[in-house]
Amino acid sequence: MTAEAADPAGRAVLDVLAPVTGRVLPLAEVPDPVFSAAMVGPGLAVAPALAPGAAVAPVTGRIVTLHPHAFVIEADPGRGVLVHLGLDTVQLKGAGFTLLAAAGDVVTAGQPVVEWDPAGVIAGGRSAACPVIALDSAESALADLAVGTVTAGTLLFRWT
Amino acid sequence: MADKAAAIIAGLGGADNIIDIEPCATRLRTEVRDPSKVDTAALKTAGAYGVLAAGTVVQVVVGPEADNLASDIEDLLE
Repeated sequence: MTAEAADPAGRAVLDVLAPVTGRVLPLAEVPDPVFSAAMVGPGLAVAPALAPGAAVAPVTGRIVTLHPHAFVIEADPGRGVLVHLGLDTVQLKGAGFTLLAAAGDVVTAGQPVVEWDPAGVIAGGRSAACPVIALDSAESALADLAVGTVTAGTLLFRWT
Repeated sequence: MADKAAAIIAGLGGADNIIDIEPCATRLRTEVRDPSKVDTAALKTAGAYGVLAAGTVVQVVVGPEADNLASDIEDLLE
């Protein structure tokens, strides 16, 4: 259990790390109506560097949802972070993605969760952009949003 | 959850109107026979964050519980 989970009333600020290395994009620039309108929550996206690699856990917590192309890690009750690897990648049905963890696992921020190849996603005619969403949160709850380029495992934004 | 699944089926125009339903990380991707029977307001009342319709393809944005909801809906449709 993390310190945040032990204190649900006055929760600590949650550092949300970049799951992949790449260029930070506002969600509004993500070519997907659900993410660009922040329908499931605010966040940022990362346009990944085009090299095969592993997407890492943005926070420490339990993997509550795990698809080949997307996962949700719950840092504490009510604070889940969604990472979506590319857009419309559900259509790939797992091809090109290798799971390194299982649903229900507790993972540490920075731990590899899924191996994938962003260039392969782009070659298939899809966007490789990776939205990172503070589920059911509000834009005003996010702080210290990264700009420019980020390295996987470094701060992307803080969930206050 | 089963109530929510039933409400979403109703919002999509009923079981007979649903051709296919597939969960993704944030949404249910459905194909319906008659898009005019889809009730967006009812789907939102059922808990959807939003509804994206393009012809017979209707995406119901439900967040990461899409997986569980799709299973419940499939159970109800069988």
